[in-house]
Amino acid sequence: VRLQSENIDPSVITRRSALLGVGVVGIYGVLASRLYYLQIVKSEDYRTLSDNNRFNFNVTLPSRGRIMDRNGESLAVNRQDYRLILIPEQVQDLDSTLKRVAEILPLQDKTITRIKKDIKENASFVPIMIEDHLDWKTFAALNLKTPDLPGIIPEVGEGRAYPNKGVFAHTLGYVGRANSDDVAKDKDPLLRQPTFRIGKLGVEAAADKILRGKSGKLKVEVNAVGRIVREWPDPKDEAEHGKDVWLTIDADLQKYAAELFEDDSGGITVIDIVTGELRTLLSMPSYDGNLFVSGLTQEDMTRLNSDERRPQYNKVISGGYPPASTFKMTVMLAALESSLINPTDKIFCVGKLRSGNRDFHCWRRKGHGPMDMRNALKHSCDVYFYDLAQIIGMEKIADVGRRLGLGQKFDIGIAGVKTGIMPDPAWKKAKLGAAWRGGDTFNAAIGQGFVLATPLQLAVMTARIANSHNAILPHLIIGENLPEAEKLDIDPNHIAFVQEAMWSVCEEPGGTAYQINGLGIKGLQMAGKTGTGQVRGISASERRERIRKNKELPWKLRDHSIFVGFAPYNSPRFAVSCLVEHGGSGAKRAATISRAILRRALERDGMGPKSEILEPSKTL
Amino acid sequence: MMRRQNTGETFRAKLYEVNWFLVVLLFLVGLVGVVMIFAATDGVWSRGASQHLIRLSLCGVFMIAIALVDIKIWYSMAYPIYILALVLLICVEFFGVSVNGSQRWLDLGIMRLQPSEVMKLAIVMALARYFHDIPQWRVSRVSGLFVALLLIVLPMSLILRQPDLGTALLVAATGFIIIFLAGVNWRIIVTALVSGAVAIPLFFRFGLKEYQRARIATFLDPTRDPTGASYHITQSKIALGSGGVSGKGFMNGTQRQLEYVPENRTDFIFTVIGEEFGLIGSLMTMGLYLAVIGLCLWLSYQCKHVFSRLMILGITTTFVLYIFINLAMVMGLVPVVGVPLPLISYGGTVVMTVMTGFGLVLSAHLHRQNELPKSHV
Repeated sequence: VRLQSENIDPSVITRRSALLGVGVVGIYGVLASRLYYLQIVKSEDYRTLSDNNRFNFNVTLPSRGRIMDRNGESLAVNRQDYRLILIPEQVQDLDSTLKRVAEILPLQDKTITRIKKDIKENASFVPIMIEDHLDWKTFAALNLKTPDLPGIIPEVGEGRAYPNKGVFAHTLGYVGRANSDDVAKDKDPLLRQPTFRIGKLGVEAAADKILRGKSGKLKVEVNAVGRIVREWPDPKDEAEHGKDVWLTIDADLQKYAAELFEDDSGGITVIDIVTGELRTLLSMPSYDGNLFVSGLTQEDMTRLNSDERRPQYNKVISGGYPPASTFKMTVMLAALESSLINPTDKIFCVGKLRSGNRDFHCWRRKGHGPMDMRNALKHSCDVYFYDLAQIIGMEKIADVGRRLGLGQKFDIGIAGVKTGIMPDPAWKKAKLGAAWRGGDTFNAAIGQGFVLATPLQLAVMTARIANSHNAILPHLIIGENLPEAEKLDIDPNHIAFVQEAMWSVCEEPGGTAYQINGLGIKGLQMAGKTGTGQVRGISASERRERIRKNKELPWKLRDHSIFVGFAPYNSPRFAVSCLVEHGGSGAKRAATISRAILRRALERDGMGPKSEILEPSKTL
Repeated sequence: MMRRQNTGETFRAKLYEVNWFLVVLLFLVGLVGVVMIFAATDGVWSRGASQHLIRLSLCGVFMIAIALVDIKIWYSMAYPIYILALVLLICVEFFGVSVNGSQRWLDLGIMRLQPSEVMKLAIVMALARYFHDIPQWRVSRVSGLFVALLLIVLPMSLILRQPDLGTALLVAATGFIIIFLAGVNWRIIVTALVSGAVAIPLFFRFGLKEYQRARIATFLDPTRDPTGASYHITQSKIALGSGGVSGKGFMNGTQRQLEYVPENRTDFIFTVIGEEFGLIGSLMTMGLYLAVIGLCLWLSYQCKHVFSRLMILGITTTFVLYIFINLAMVMGLVPVVGVPLPLISYGGTVVMTVMTGFGLVLSAHLHRQNELPKSHV
């Protein structure tokens, strides 16, 4: 059938439509070969990309080990911590995102700066902490609002907490963000996780490797906006949690010690004289370690720094103080060892001793009269010890002092342990380039002048005297390998003589610590020595006149109150050293605290009246 | 060949004469759509699959209704429909509803109408009628071509103003192909192609909106903006490529499950086919389309009139362009333009347009021997 001749010939359309068909087939060929390229040739590549789309490996943080006292009381634990995390690669517009967050959770400029710094320093998939320690209300509000904010994730993590706030702060230390030094020293990838916390001080730092654990991996399936849709846990990739660390500390005893100190400043050590285990290691006043975990506020920082009692200073292991009269046992032992003087020989104290053109005074202006060695310690007669030291010489005294632990550094696992100074002529020559003079010996004889010791050292000294056989070493972390204590190279008979003199200080009328009335436990007695450490240069006239009573002086200029002691006298268990900064005479503040703590230590060890031990409410 | 008189035939007999093979093929393509929408929506019927099935059925009935209408009526309505579509496009300009920054819709109270969709078919009808009417000698003359080009350029420029680049190009391309099919001189074709090659860069510079330029630029260099516009292309290629030969299995596509490919229920539905059924599934889908196209070409040969032939071929061309542009886009061969995969992508408008178009195809074929009035120009 032909159409009308003047119109278009349908055969033209047939030919052209055949060309159209050819074109369709041609383009089909192009599309099919493209499919072949995508689905066959490049299939592996795209499958990998597809899996990359699907899976992420997230670093899982291990739980930090706890720190426990000797009885299993937790001193450092992990608490559920509500926090807000940001994952940079998922955030579209950082500023507007943070602005949205700030509508619920106000962010300080400082925080925003830190977040931006963290983002810059880390790979874009590493989660950044926006804020931790959120309260439930804020956390709930954030949960409600963030689902439409990509990259903002409210998370329940673990945060470090110190249930006893300040009492163990100096010993435990605290945890914090790893800084660039930490990262440079330690290649553990955990440190680069902005939500990870590393031990910064104390046991937290010293035992960090034990407490930290090992990071794990978690394969997660994520959708296009990065939200986790499924987790693929693999047991072999799990984080290895940190191990608990146990301390020799008796938490209740230390808390009691903190109570006894009240607002005073200083340090106290209670040590097992057989094993060297530290039952109490307290520096006062303390600070709340929890404040450091989340980052100290400016306010807290100012408060801590402006306190003249220096709460952050670990006085008990780092503070070097003149041991004052508690040094006299060392002089005594040196004298007995030198055999240059008989303990029964008497020296007459008139209240002062003249050496060259200088007068060296006894603390008792009117003098003690005739004194033998035992009475000189009991009454703490300065003049007797001036004379003694002069006879035996400083080298001998320093030698015995070092054997007792003075001027020695004890490794108790944590940082900050100071050496103190056990001076002798060689030391002065090396250190000050000056010759040792007679006056230096006189000052040293009563634990003043160049002699400096930490409360820990005084406790070790006392413990070695109480032990009388072994040069015991202090010990804080259970399970740490410690060198075996060496034999104490001092004649036990001499020590027994000194112990008896120390007993007379506490238990005999006229002793400088007699007024504290002993332990107060029937059948048990204590021994000790008081010390009153001068912190100011006292002019001769002042000393002569005694114009100003200690109490009238400004706090900073008052004497340090010191006491060392051990109990029970007959079969010693614990030694104590207590130093109350600017607390006045040793017979008062420090002796009172020491007596109470020794009594409590013995009670807790099963030696006290049964009623007190068996009452759970008091002991636990 | 047997001659049939349609006037005396019963409705039943006429219904029997409809080319059911094409109807079945179209419904099969639609079913692929239902299944893939079901997968793309995580197996939730109510999120698209059931609606798609209902639309296919309703539009199928509508298609048959159109097929039964005498070709003479469609012939006589070709210009009125074209003018109506043009008026509607102008109305969009003034009263249109904006969606996503484009003004494409007319709110008619009971329904929303997209005049550019009407125009896709109207342009075919108008051009088919125009070439049916004019004598052969005018096809390659300026006087003949001028009217044809005017018929194309008027709606094209209106659609471009909405702005809807994809549809504008589709309408224009369909129009040009009809001119080609009408037998325009090869010299003119070559001239047009050359001048087009010159005009396209100019058009790119001055005729496009910023976002349209950005789409093309990211297409040319996908690394420019990995999370922006080219994200679609990248993720879509990953979905297809990771499917491999046999795919990850029905409902197992991870790209799909994890929502990496946006719009995978609509424009990017082919990625779900490619990911879950691999090369085999992709080629089978394309084969189904090819069968529809081939059958339409065959139907056109059987028609007596220029109008019927050109209308079938024009509607087939629209269908082909939909498929090509969509597949090429999904495979990363052309920039992302909002063109759905006909009958498979979720969306009522395109199903309606395509089924109406095939209704016209069926009508042309059903009345292939009927006489048409002749305009002597």
